[in-house]
Amino acid sequence: MTGAQLLTALILLAASVGAGLLLRRAWSQRSASRAGLILGAWTVLAGLLVVAVVPMGGPRGVFIAATLISVGILGVAASNLQVRPARAAADKASLAPEPSDRQSRAWRGVLRFLLAGPIGGIAAMGVAVAWTVWLPADAKTRIVAGGLVAPLLWGALMAWTLSDDKIIRATAVLLGVAVVTFGIAAIKGFG
Amino acid sequence: MAEAKAGKPIWPKASAPLVRAVLAGHSALGLAFAALIFLVCFSGTVAVLRPEVLRWETPQAPVVHEMKPEAVTTLRDEALAKYPGAHHLYIYLPTEEASRATVMIDAVEGEPLKQWTANADGHLVSEYATPWTEFLQRLHFYLHLPPTWGLIIVGLTGVALLSSLVSGVIAHPRVFRDAFHLRWGGSKRLQEADTHNRLGVWGLPFHVILSLSGALLGLSTLMIGILGMVVFNGDVNKVYNLFLAPAPIDDPRPAPLPPLEGMFAHVAQQSPEARVTSVFFEHPGETGQSVMVTGETQGRLDRGDYWVFGGDGKLLEGGHSDSTEMGNAILQGLYVLHFGTFGGWVIKIAYVLLGIALTVVTTSGVAIWLARRRDKGKAAPGWERVWTAFCWSQPPAYALAALVALTAPAISLLPVWGVVTLVAVALAALWPPRMLSRVLRAASVVLIGLVPVVHVALYSGSYTDGVAWAINGILVAAALACAATFMPLRAEAKAKPVVAPAE
Repeated sequence: MTGAQLLTALILLAASVGAGLLLRRAWSQRSASRAGLILGAWTVLAGLLVVAVVPMGGPRGVFIAATLISVGILGVAASNLQVRPARAAADKASLAPEPSDRQSRAWRGVLRFLLAGPIGGIAAMGVAVAWTVWLPADAKTRIVAGGLVAPLLWGALMAWTLSDDKIIRATAVLLGVAVVTFGIAAIKGFG
Repeated sequence: MAEAKAGKPIWPKASAPLVRAVLAGHSALGLAFAALIFLVCFSGTVAVLRPEVLRWETPQAPVVHEMKPEAVTTLRDEALAKYPGAHHLYIYLPTEEASRATVMIDAVEGEPLKQWTANADGHLVSEYATPWTEFLQRLHFYLHLPPTWGLIIVGLTGVALLSSLVSGVIAHPRVFRDAFHLRWGGSKRLQEADTHNRLGVWGLPFHVILSLSGALLGLSTLMIGILGMVVFNGDVNKVYNLFLAPAPIDDPRPAPLPPLEGMFAHVAQQSPEARVTSVFFEHPGETGQSVMVTGETQGRLDRGDYWVFGGDGKLLEGGHSDSTEMGNAILQGLYVLHFGTFGGWVIKIAYVLLGIALTVVTTSGVAIWLARRRDKGKAAPGWERVWTAFCWSQPPAYALAALVALTAPAISLLPVWGVVTLVAVALAALWPPRMLSRVLRAASVVLIGLVPVVHVALYSGSYTDGVAWAINGILVAAALACAATFMPLRAEAKAKPVVAPAE
């Protein structure tokens, strides 16, 4: 990293802290200027992603800015640390939602595990392979794009199947998706 | 600091049943993978500094700013003279980040590579080993399991983390309303929820990039296998061949080594801004030999272009890989993004801080579950002790492994790390969480603090590579950070009432 790039990084970090302070101010005040502060802060943050491209270069600048924005705003959040007197008992008046208590039959647990794990994984791989086969792009791009789709979709399917109580429906959907996607991939082949 | 009044929420309101259902899934998945996610995140945080730690383990390597093709030729010839019949040679040239030249030699198949430093003229200087770096790398890449299985498990951990991020965002309806709340010392559950949510939300881009790239890198073998099975009639090599450098036809008959000057000139002509960073020799001295030259261009988000030449010194058909092509660019970009090697020290430090944040998100997630159970009158003291012991065992385990690597490099580090971890978890049967935490944090302060002391003593502080001082400084800072956890936090005089934990 050159001196100019280091300076740019420090400016990005400082601007991120500035935008974080605007957001914190908006968060702490119920005033007329709140919307303006929020809009201004997010405009600054979006602008940093664009501006960073000039000295840092293409995608690299965007990711450097995104990384430093996270650090900068976390710094602002850390500066808001409030230390309270220790309390032994928990807050009984908590308004936080509690996770739902679900039916705990063994077969549902096993099926849910299979849906989130292997069945969800196979369905995600099926979509990724179909995507790889059908995407109009060069071979490497198709394979890498399919490779990105698989974990993204698997993660989303895990989140869905672990939270949806209608697990028979989820089973049918995932098995259907797997059959269809692997089928259309095998029919076309990798042309 | 005075607590501010929360403003009107602007985040779309999710229904309570949906939030409760997603929270249940988030909780189940997080608990199932907590230990694995913690291991991968903790080792990954340290592994961000892997190239620097490697240099710290070899701090007296000759300083080399540039190597000419003639010097690379000398280095190749000396390495082959020392290890005749070597199957592969990997020469790493100095870069802007690392002023040194090294060569790795695959002398005997199945045995560890021989590693040597070299000077600017290409002469071998000294053999070296980097046991702690290798221990760290194997732990993060495949948990010291057989590589194929280990990679899949680490990749699956990445998917679970990604899924937790998705469900965490959906299950967090107060994401902006609570955006800057960070309340410590009151209700344990509120403290952990604030920590979990602040670090989780504001570090989200980093967490998504890390988990997605880690999942892709870890599951690539499995995905390529499935792709090959479905559309290539089981021939996975057809997939690999799209990405790997062309391999020469195997022909073990002796042949002269090709001159390198023409290859360097070819790279300079094709890519004037590229700096040659490595030269790999496959089956050197055989008729079926090849040479792969990699050149990196500053400012790009990739690991460089490569050119593969045959034994006659000519570029092989399909022997040039351009990293600006879409598929290559995404794949290499993901690797660079995962390890934080795209923005010098600034990004390295940012990655370490965000890596710590992700690790804390994992520990606080389990702590929320434990606190919630306690609040509901269903405390799980056993799990609380085990989780405390497991998490706090890692800093002293890593530090002791580093001390053993420095003082007795022949000893395998995996048992050292494993014994410390197991002893800590065994102590959970005897001590309450508070005691466990205090003892292990104290051990962390002592052991982490000892590492730079021993390092300086071993090398008498005479480092040729300044990065050794930087890593020692980071270790001192880490020891001080552990020591700082013993300092009591002073509560503010007027604390506002708790509004709501938002786990």
